[in-house]
Amino acid sequence: MGALFRAYNYLLHGLAVLSGILIFFVFVLIVVDVTIRTLGMIPPPFTLSVVEYVLLWFTMLAAPWLVRIKGHVFIDAVTQFLPGPVKLVVAKIVYAGSAIATAIYATRSFELLQTSWIENKVDVRSIDMPQWTLFAPMPLCFAMVSIEFIRYLVGIDDMYSQTVEEREGV
Amino acid sequence: MEWYWALATLIGMVIFFMAMGTPVALTFIITNIIGALIFMGDMAAWSQIVDNSTSLITRFTLGPVPMFIMMGALFFHTGLAIRVFDGLDVLFGRLPGRLCYLTVAGGSLFSTLTGSSMANTAMLGSLMVPEMQRRGYNKRMSMGPILGTGGLAMIIPPSALGVLLASVANIDVGKLLVAGFIPGFVLAGLYATMIFLQIRFNPSSAPAYDVEMPPISERVKLVVTNILPMGLVVFMVIGFIILGWSTPTEAAAFGVLGVVILASLFRVLTFDALKASVEATVKVGAMVFFIIMSSTVFSQLLAYSGASAGLLEWATGFEVSKYWVLLLMFIILVSLGMFMDPTSMMLITVPIFFPLAQQLGFDLIWFGLFVLMTFEMAGTTPPFGLLLYVMLGVAPKGTTLYQVASAAFPFLVCDAILIVILVFFPSLALWLPGQM
Repeated sequence: MGALFRAYNYLLHGLAVLSGILIFFVFVLIVVDVTIRTLGMIPPPFTLSVVEYVLLWFTMLAAPWLVRIKGHVFIDAVTQFLPGPVKLVVAKIVYAGSAIATAIYATRSFELLQTSWIENKVDVRSIDMPQWTLFAPMPLCFAMVSIEFIRYLVGIDDMYSQTVEEREGV
Repeated sequence: MEWYWALATLIGMVIFFMAMGTPVALTFIITNIIGALIFMGDMAAWSQIVDNSTSLITRFTLGPVPMFIMMGALFFHTGLAIRVFDGLDVLFGRLPGRLCYLTVAGGSLFSTLTGSSMANTAMLGSLMVPEMQRRGYNKRMSMGPILGTGGLAMIIPPSALGVLLASVANIDVGKLLVAGFIPGFVLAGLYATMIFLQIRFNPSSAPAYDVEMPPISERVKLVVTNILPMGLVVFMVIGFIILGWSTPTEAAAFGVLGVVILASLFRVLTFDALKASVEATVKVGAMVFFIIMSSTVFSQLLAYSGASAGLLEWATGFEVSKYWVLLLMFIILVSLGMFMDPTSMMLITVPIFFPLAQQLGFDLIWFGLFVLMTFEMAGTTPPFGLLLYVMLGVAPKGTTLYQVASAAFPFLVCDAILIVILVFFPSLALWLPGQM
């Protein structure tokens, strides 16, 4: 069981690292594309489509890690005035609701992935992209986001145990 | 269902879940799931909402957001930000209130280079407040200019929030970014005037002190080496867009390249700085994009349920001046801003306010800038303006929220003055985009 948890943690952090690599790749790709164009040569036709897809992958791959590091912004303008026990109950409802909602997104995105793979659907952009590559990160990442909220729900950690500065990343 | 019930149900759900402390992105996801069941009738609609959630996030126009964040993060983590400050420091000599002016000048420059209000306020707060306190500045004078200048980042390009707003509202990203340029610097001028007046009426609030001035050659050298090179980065971003040499996404990538080149020239580009900057980009960029992704369907549900069209018809049915409607939108935005972060406010109000503004005959680029200005004001409005809390976090121990909020007040007046100027002289914002 311990090995499974460790593997899961490696996956969670690995996906976040991949997200960082992808966004840096976007920077490099755009600079190379514009430089090629400026030099009067023909830039690769895939830049636009790849950047667009990477923006989605960048977002999805980092999503579970952001839940783990309490990086998703929330508003505590009301809950901060609640008494401790009520606050805890409200927090548990939030965790449960979030876990269920993202689990629904995970299953539905898996269905979309399956359909686009079987039917060989194409997304027409600056180049034709296989549509399954759009949905590919979603089932896994939404499922992991759901698991992260379940961690909070069972009391492994508390999402609200941060100062406002930590929350805002400053 | 009548449009007003549909509107109340959808907006009510978002506000209810947010009030419970649900992460903003998850608030939209839960609302989408329930909203799809209510308005589309069955669970098959859930596949549709997941499919539709990918539509906005995969737009090339959103590209500048992570690039601007990376640029700002590199600027901080390599220490280039401090060099700019050192360069500006020598320019102000023995001027009374010099640290306040330094804050406005430095903050305006940081704004152009980072585009993050939160980071601006945090950095200026932690850098300047202790020094100002040491020099005998009162709390109002030490915190006010920082809070005001922190918000400048929202309108002075490159503004990450500006890119988000333009993408969500479906208006020209480049034009909205450029529209903030002149009003941003007018606002910086208003802040400087406000500081001058405050010191004039209460000289002890920011006492003058002796500063050891380096020789003129040294000062020129500092300006040339520490400030002017940053002009290259500003040009790479704003200049490229205005001259039509590149799209905002490409200009933003070249902004990052500009900071990388400068950091290399100054020999401050390290692997750790690069790693920290990419990490900051993932933290902030992916978080904001996850919200955008989750909220895409929300605006579609507003349209599908008839709430947007109904509200539009109702609001334009009154025989009142369009400026009264504008004032009402302003009040709603500032009120929401007391409790919400700008991204959430934007995603709730854009699907309703932008069609309304278009129907009323406002230029949408101008209206976009107006909305950004309002966000800026909302960020420093008590009791829950986010910038107030960021400042409270970096201010000396014992500082109260009341002290922070009252320090921000004169600068909120400046913001209001700029909004009035923009209403009477829209060309202040629209002239530069008109040249593109």
